[in-house]
Amino acid sequence: MAFSAKTSAAVLAARFLTFTMRLLGSGGTSLPGKVALRICPDLLARLSGHFSILMVTGTNGKTTTSRMVAQLLEASGLRYRTNKSGANLASGITATVACATSLFGNPKVPWLLLEADEAAFRVTAPHLKPKAVIATNFFRDQLDRFGELYSTLNAVREGLAGTPDSLLVFNADDSLCASLGIGMDTGKAASRRLFPFGLSVSASPGSDAFSSDAAFCIRCSTRYRYSASSYGHLGHFSCPSCGYGRPTPAILCETVVAGPDSSRVRIVTNRGAYEAEIGLPGLYNVYNGLSAAALAEALSLPHDAVVKALASFERGFGRMESFQAEGRTVQIILVKNPTGFDQVLGYLETLPGPVTPAFLINDGLADGTDVSWLWDVDFERFAARFASRFEEQAADDAAFMAVSGLRADDMAVRLKYAGVPESRILICPEPDAMFLDALARTPKGGTLCLMPTYTALLALRGILAKRYGLRDFWK
Amino acid sequence: MRELTLIHLYPDLMNLYGDRGNIVTLKRRCEWRGIQLNVVPVSLGDPFDADRADIVFIGGGQDYEQAILQDDALTKKRDDILRAVESDVVFLAICGGYQLLGSHYLTGEGKRIECLGALDVCTEAGRKRLIGNLIFDCPFLPEENRKVIGFENHSGMTFRGPSVNPLGRVLYGHGNTGSDGTEGALYRNVIGSYSHGSLLPKNPALADFLLERALLRRYPAGERLSPLPDELERKAREGLLKRFLHTS
Repeated sequence: MAFSAKTSAAVLAARFLTFTMRLLGSGGTSLPGKVALRICPDLLARLSGHFSILMVTGTNGKTTTSRMVAQLLEASGLRYRTNKSGANLASGITATVACATSLFGNPKVPWLLLEADEAAFRVTAPHLKPKAVIATNFFRDQLDRFGELYSTLNAVREGLAGTPDSLLVFNADDSLCASLGIGMDTGKAASRRLFPFGLSVSASPGSDAFSSDAAFCIRCSTRYRYSASSYGHLGHFSCPSCGYGRPTPAILCETVVAGPDSSRVRIVTNRGAYEAEIGLPGLYNVYNGLSAAALAEALSLPHDAVVKALASFERGFGRMESFQAEGRTVQIILVKNPTGFDQVLGYLETLPGPVTPAFLINDGLADGTDVSWLWDVDFERFAARFASRFEEQAADDAAFMAVSGLRADDMAVRLKYAGVPESRILICPEPDAMFLDALARTPKGGTLCLMPTYTALLALRGILAKRYGLRDFWK
Repeated sequence: MRELTLIHLYPDLMNLYGDRGNIVTLKRRCEWRGIQLNVVPVSLGDPFDADRADIVFIGGGQDYEQAILQDDALTKKRDDILRAVESDVVFLAICGGYQLLGSHYLTGEGKRIECLGALDVCTEAGRKRLIGNLIFDCPFLPEENRKVIGFENHSGMTFRGPSVNPLGRVLYGHGNTGSDGTEGALYRNVIGSYSHGSLLPKNPALADFLLERALLRRYPAGERLSPLPDELERKAREGLLKRFLHTS
């Protein structure tokens, strides 16, 4: 395709605005892409042919998975650009593609790694024609924006329909995600090349979720049977009526040994078996690591690059970052939907020593304006597990939970009904003030665990960057 | 010890937007007053025992899950549910559950889906999805707690027949149809509403209203509910009322 003046102008605008906004210290990431699209509406289609493009979509784990894949490319000696800052809407994706293109239309790097929100995926994938797509999973998330979980799934399905040659890496244990790999009318596998990943029976610990996001067959509405489950609705599902079931993973996690900071896994593929250390705790990160390993199969990248990537990837913005402050460990874990939140609470229970949980709940557009999902999180179980800590530390009145953000009071009510004594709930709507107060009241050697929603996380980063020199997130 | 039984209808299908918070709230508020609330899940294929129920709760669901239960509800449970309604069992039905209690649902393509007919309301698919915080005034609640706060997310528009009162008047948000100024339905001891939120934790007066009705029916000579401090709840309510209604 000829590189027209219009394309050139759009690229120039996106690059100039991105550069200027960074210079001004603004983390804003949507304007350059919007302007570029205004100048040249079909910019993505014009530019995409120059790159090998990888896209990561799904409701949970996109950012962490992208970080792992980035490291995988790095370890494989492949040069790439990525939309690192969590700018995963169409505008952010456009800006990333434009900034990776020279003014003469030449690609600056051969590879692009693009994290895409599900709605953005639907719109951009048909133009980008990615070489491979990772679909991580589908859990209820931000329903007030998308309507329903099935609409979210269908958005990805539509996006995939527009790019039939893309290799598809998907979660075999997720009945919703796995449905992307079947022709929904015939039940036969689509002609595209598929790379399903999943956990073995022995690696699946069993789920105790009290409500499943997908208990009934997506094809015939019969209740699934499970021969193993890992968490949420993920597991070895099969429909007793129509025969739809978990596809056999081409990339299988045979064993998981979970540690407090990482998990040791054994991965089996048709190129052989290998062991790897995943540098973040939690079963959901095992899935993230497994999806990166599956991508390596799709692209025929070496196993030692996977091992290196999973051990050394950079933790994402608010994804379990931790640092030391006044003799305490501060950990930041983004929360955004019930399944993810349950996993985070499960992780907190494993931390040794005094732990102060701090919940920062906002209800901005990026958080989801509806906070009712807090009632779908299993705080009852969490409160019961923490009850003993309250008793142990009763004397010095140290153990408590903090709540903050625009919906701090709602969160306090949630904890009260979960069984946390009111006297143990510290309410401080202002995030900075809560952070300082909660830090001071956490015993030395203990952990202050900040669990913010998205905009609450942004609100915190200012004070954390100033005080503790945390890097600016968009870099 | 006084005891109440709550039937949770289709908990595995109708469980959107934190609706289980309503059950958590009723259970705790009973527990804090020394009342035992037994929660019995009743789903596909399970019998619905109208004589056992003091309170019935049904939440909202996605279209996909609602379609699954339609047949079970109409062929296996309808008569018992109707009998429960007419014998003053307390119902709380949210969103899809509220629509299910009505007579029918008219889809965007003009297809009529039969519903239970326990409540004289019907629903039509609307073009717009009505999403956002919802505040409405319930005249039957104590003066200081008349304003009920929830969060709505629906595209159906629900119209009431003459025997059914609105649950309240919309002060902020959309409500039943987005234009008639009413929210929800009140008929005998049945409350239907579009409010997720969850509804009851932020509106303890409404939770207590339901419990009072259920207790009065099961223990006509029993003592009234003892008041609870509700300080956190009051604080959360005040903050939201101030933010959305600009009241001081």
